[in-house]
Amino acid sequence: MRDCENIRESIGRWLDGELDAAESESITAHLASCDECRKARQQLESIQHILKTTLLAEAQQIEFLPFWRGLQLRIGHKTSWYQQALERARETFTLSRAAWLVPASIAVLLAILSLESYIPGWREGRNSFASVESIDAYGRNVALLRQNESKTTVIWLYEDQEGENETADEPAKSAPAF
Amino acid sequence: MASFQELVSRYHQKVYMVILGLLHNRDDALEVAQETFLRAYRKIGSFAGGSSFYTWIYRIAVNLAIDAQRRQKRNPLDFRETMDGVLEAQEETARDPFADVHDRELRENLIRAINELTPEHKAVIVLRTIEGLSYKDIGEILGCSEGTVMSRLHYARKKLQDKLSAFL
Repeated sequence: MRDCENIRESIGRWLDGELDAAESESITAHLASCDECRKARQQLESIQHILKTTLLAEAQQIEFLPFWRGLQLRIGHKTSWYQQALERARETFTLSRAAWLVPASIAVLLAILSLESYIPGWREGRNSFASVESIDAYGRNVALLRQNESKTTVIWLYEDQEGENETADEPAKSAPAF
Repeated sequence: MASFQELVSRYHQKVYMVILGLLHNRDDALEVAQETFLRAYRKIGSFAGGSSFYTWIYRIAVNLAIDAQRRQKRNPLDFRETMDGVLEAQEETARDPFADVHDRELRENLIRAINELTPEHKAVIVLRTIEGLSYKDIGEILGCSEGTVMSRLHYARKKLQDKLSAFL
């Protein structure tokens, strides 16, 4: 029984002629005396035969001339530049390669952003700014001052003097009288 | 161009058979077969004389067919239609009116069983069956080792045998 299992493992290779002479002989001898293994061999041969005849019958319907004319048309057909670019992109960015795109883009982006730390003076003067951003809940102005050379950002809260004067007067006017 | 025409005339049916074995749809197989020769024509300069022309052309064909099959698999409706194409063609060409119901059933089930294999398993079965290529050549075409070809063939045959044992 164990012998049969081993033989059936090798029948495919035996049919393909991929076994050495000794192995091949032992399988031939076994098949001569074992009905079950002979049946397994016949099954494999039938599968191969049916598949081959099915595909062969199909292929014989493909006449050369129409096939060749169609091919000639495609060879002569000038593809537009964007079709060529699309084709090249499809060939280049296969699924496995595209999987690297996201981490690679992140790495490039981080490298560009960190250039500022490694190249002194890069982007100098571009991002130094000072602006009044808003007025906070207590009525104070919030200013954001950024100095690129020293890489410092100062958040400056200050109160408008005029506003303070106006609000300073109001409590006096609306002060409750006892 | 005349020598290229000679190559196409020699290989077009075999290339078509391999692709049809993978795609199971005549129109798609014809389209991919023409694309295969178009690529071969454009890239003939990159063909290294070290390998034989048929391994080179089959490699292009198998890669294009596997790509096409992956696109098919993303659309299950198209995939179902693919099986009917080949079966209908077989019925049209059957000369015996009784056309051997058993044979037809077996063919249908064989195509269905092959369709359930992965593209890589399908490719080894088709290349081995159609051309009787050696494991070495199949490995060269698919870009894998002889050992891998051997184990894929064994697995694919076992699957087909299991699915078809009732009909064989």
